[in-house]
Amino acid sequence: MSADSARKRAGGGRGIIFDLREMTTHDGPGIRTTVFFKGCLLRCLWCHNPEGIAFEPELMVRSKGCAHCGLCARPCGHPECAELGRCVRICPSGLLRAAGERVRADELAERLLKTADIVEEGGGGFTISGGEPLAQPAFLFELMELLKPNHLAIETSGFASPEVFERAIALADLVMLDLKHMDPKEHARGTGVENAPILANLERIMASGRRFVARIPLIPGFNDSEGNMRAVAERLAPAKSRLRVELLPCNPLAGAKYPMLGRRYESIYPPEAAPRVDLSSFDSLGIEALVL
Amino acid sequence: MTEIIRKLYAQILTKSHHRYRREWNEDLASDYCAGRMKPLERVARRFCAVLAAEKAIILDGERISLIRTVERLPPIFTPEEWRDIKDHHFIHELGCVCNISPDYASTISRGLDVRRTEALLRLESCRASGDDEGILFLESMIMEIDALFGLCERYRVEASRIGREDIAEIFAKVPRKGASTFREALQFFRILHFALWCEGEYHNTIGRLDQYLFPYFQADIAEGRLDEEAAFDLLEEFFLSFNRDSDLYPGVQQGDNGQSLVLGGMAEDGSECFNLLSELCLRASREFKLIDPKVNLRVASASSLRVYELGTELTKEGLGFPQYSNDDVVVPGLADLGYAPEDARNYVVAACWEFIIPGKGMDIPNIAALSFPKVVDACVRRDLVGAASFADFLAAVKRELGRECARLAGGIRDLWMIPAPFMSLLMDGCVSRARDVSLGAKYNNYGFHGVGLSTAVDSLAAIRELVFEKGELGTRDLIAALDDDFVGHEELLNTLRYGSLKMGNGDPEVDAVAAELLDAFADGTKELRNERGGRIRPGTGSAMYYLWSSREIGASPDGRRKGEWFSANFSPSLFARVSGPLSVIKSFSSPRLSRVINGGPLTMEFHSTLFQDAESQAKIARLVKIFIDRGGHQLQLNAVNRDVLMDAQAHPERYGNLIVRVWGWSAYFVELDREFQDHVIRRQEYVG
Repeated sequence: MSADSARKRAGGGRGIIFDLREMTTHDGPGIRTTVFFKGCLLRCLWCHNPEGIAFEPELMVRSKGCAHCGLCARPCGHPECAELGRCVRICPSGLLRAAGERVRADELAERLLKTADIVEEGGGGFTISGGEPLAQPAFLFELMELLKPNHLAIETSGFASPEVFERAIALADLVMLDLKHMDPKEHARGTGVENAPILANLERIMASGRRFVARIPLIPGFNDSEGNMRAVAERLAPAKSRLRVELLPCNPLAGAKYPMLGRRYESIYPPEAAPRVDLSSFDSLGIEALVL
Repeated sequence: MTEIIRKLYAQILTKSHHRYRREWNEDLASDYCAGRMKPLERVARRFCAVLAAEKAIILDGERISLIRTVERLPPIFTPEEWRDIKDHHFIHELGCVCNISPDYASTISRGLDVRRTEALLRLESCRASGDDEGILFLESMIMEIDALFGLCERYRVEASRIGREDIAEIFAKVPRKGASTFREALQFFRILHFALWCEGEYHNTIGRLDQYLFPYFQADIAEGRLDEEAAFDLLEEFFLSFNRDSDLYPGVQQGDNGQSLVLGGMAEDGSECFNLLSELCLRASREFKLIDPKVNLRVASASSLRVYELGTELTKEGLGFPQYSNDDVVVPGLADLGYAPEDARNYVVAACWEFIIPGKGMDIPNIAALSFPKVVDACVRRDLVGAASFADFLAAVKRELGRECARLAGGIRDLWMIPAPFMSLLMDGCVSRARDVSLGAKYNNYGFHGVGLSTAVDSLAAIRELVFEKGELGTRDLIAALDDDFVGHEELLNTLRYGSLKMGNGDPEVDAVAAELLDAFADGTKELRNERGGRIRPGTGSAMYYLWSSREIGASPDGRRKGEWFSANFSPSLFARVSGPLSVIKSFSSPRLSRVINGGPLTMEFHSTLFQDAESQAKIARLVKIFIDRGGHQLQLNAVNRDVLMDAQAHPERYGNLIVRVWGWSAYFVELDREFQDHVIRRQEYVG
């Protein structure tokens, strides 16, 4: 599915988001609020935000505490419940909710800007994450224009057309770009897409002269090998004065949200496995790197 | 941490020093009753008896001595006598002087010989004028000073006997003479603090230790008696001393013992008082991770980010320390209540979070609690049906709030407290007035907690929207739903409970309701006076009333069901879906908090993982500074991991040292009742 058709599916002119979080300390400098766009073109096997994958609202149900009263199964007539198959506005324990909210860029900007004074005082700004923010480009660009002149960061897989990527990095004050694997085949196995467009966009941001952050989710047995780390480091070395590498060891709670979406999480690594965390490839090339 | 500190620390953790304790169950009350003794005399006699029964114990390697060996103070009244006293008086808590801040400093510098002479001279003038009450009071005080001299002399002899000439030398000087070194000052403090607990007072706070002991610290460093590390070493041992006997101190739950320490703050000229000793205190607390002493940090908009960063390093340890208070709000707020500006500037924090004046305040800052939701509930049932507009209804709520303040104040008559001559020695003016501090001091104000604010505000916001603005909800339907505890009204329950109009979402219209309620609380208490001529100080704290008051009403219009608790202190309701800490800070810094300055912090929990890297820690420090700069009055920040708490409930045996903040104090999680544990777990937890 192309990014453009994804945007259309998200609902003509509007965008779709699944969360808004304040005080996200790992999403850029200073005190920040992050909005999570819903929908992503990658299918990472370790994804811990599964509600960020589809471009449509989805039903999320927590089962712990459910009294099986059956109220949510009754017909309700609420427009937002229609496509979810359950009523999300009646549970006495608040166990059901719609993940995914269609929203206009100006409405979203207004909501985010409620904390603009605090994020500004805190030397921070706003971060647009996902899902994949670049998969809803028109919505993204409109939102970014509305949020200026606040400091803006985007977190992206880099899987986007050159035009969209160029425009996004021009609008953003900071780009955080994921590098999941340097090997094309392994990348395709782990994420469902090729890494060629991502690496091409990496070249673009390196050529742009902008500062950026390269992020590597560390997945045991998938991309934590010395070889892959060295390949990443070598690729980044020419831009070392303008970047920092952040390693994100896999989250042991990655699978927590899958049952809430009625899905099963099948981990590609055993639950007790811990990734190899080794900064030496970066250190030896003089690249700033840290573990988050 | 040096080897000796490690050893003393281990003793505290293993409680090996408890082996020196003994039960001492003398039936003093019957004798006192038979002798028809006056309360003052009983207090003094028990003090002398307890100190005589105390055994001098010097732990191996220690440099700051005094340890309780008598476990329990026997009562001074028979049960019948106490019942009779209670029948005729308003008795606050246990009936003792408590929760105040003595002036240790002037006695530490002058010595008890001088103080005793003062008392003796005043006694002479009482005898001359025939002031019997004064005579009894000063005789009692002198008797107690002498008993304390006796105990300290036994410590001197014991020290000599075991070859600890260093300790013997100190006891040869203090407490009779004033301290001249840091170590002497610390030992002197320990003696005075020890004496207060033995007299029966509780919640005996520590105050601004980093200020009043700084001259000794500075002199030792300047004159080469100590270097910074050696001073820190002594300070660490001193910190440990607060944990020796603390399990013997009375409180609501273990840990609620009021050993509050206050660091930093602003000097008269606006400069920062945070000094090297303040910094070392933060460091000592960080190293030990013990619940005593309880660390408060005074800050203001002029405070440097570094102070907050040092504070955040301590927060990271998960003790719930430091609790921040904002001089820019507290000092003018206290001045508005009639405190002299120099006294207001010298404020400290009582056992939990109430602001009090060391040496001068006999305030009772937790004497009663106003329940905002109870006021709203009464008005929903009486005034809502006839209200023409939301403004009308809100006006009715504010009037009822005023009436409730007057009712509460009217219920406090004939207050009586057990006299406290030794405490009186450490409170300004008691010797010169020849009157016990239990009868009053320079300030005699009462404080009212303000409980369940967010529940009340959320209820009013829902009423405004659904009843008055949208017209979706009839007033009788609302009352019926409340009476049915929302059974059969599930959609309404869901809308009310999980809707967005909540205090803590940074919504100016909702926050304005909070501001109005707090203003009404301030207005409603402004003209009230208590029987001691003091004022009523409104506050934003809850103490344990977040449980108690929640039982007084049924379901509330914010979607809270019968039996569910209010949030503790000044915080979003427990089930409110708030946008996050930035919005919470916006909401909770928006009222005019200097008008409700009895105390009561915004409480926020941050997941412990947020503190893992230095950058995130710096951001949290910055967030605290923003809350203060925006006019927030007080903040408790906790590093909590919900999963850890749940596991601790299931396996208490594995979590003996897990510390959580409960309301105004930290406690060992596994020692808390299940009810309190559940509350801690259910509090809003923000994960980045």
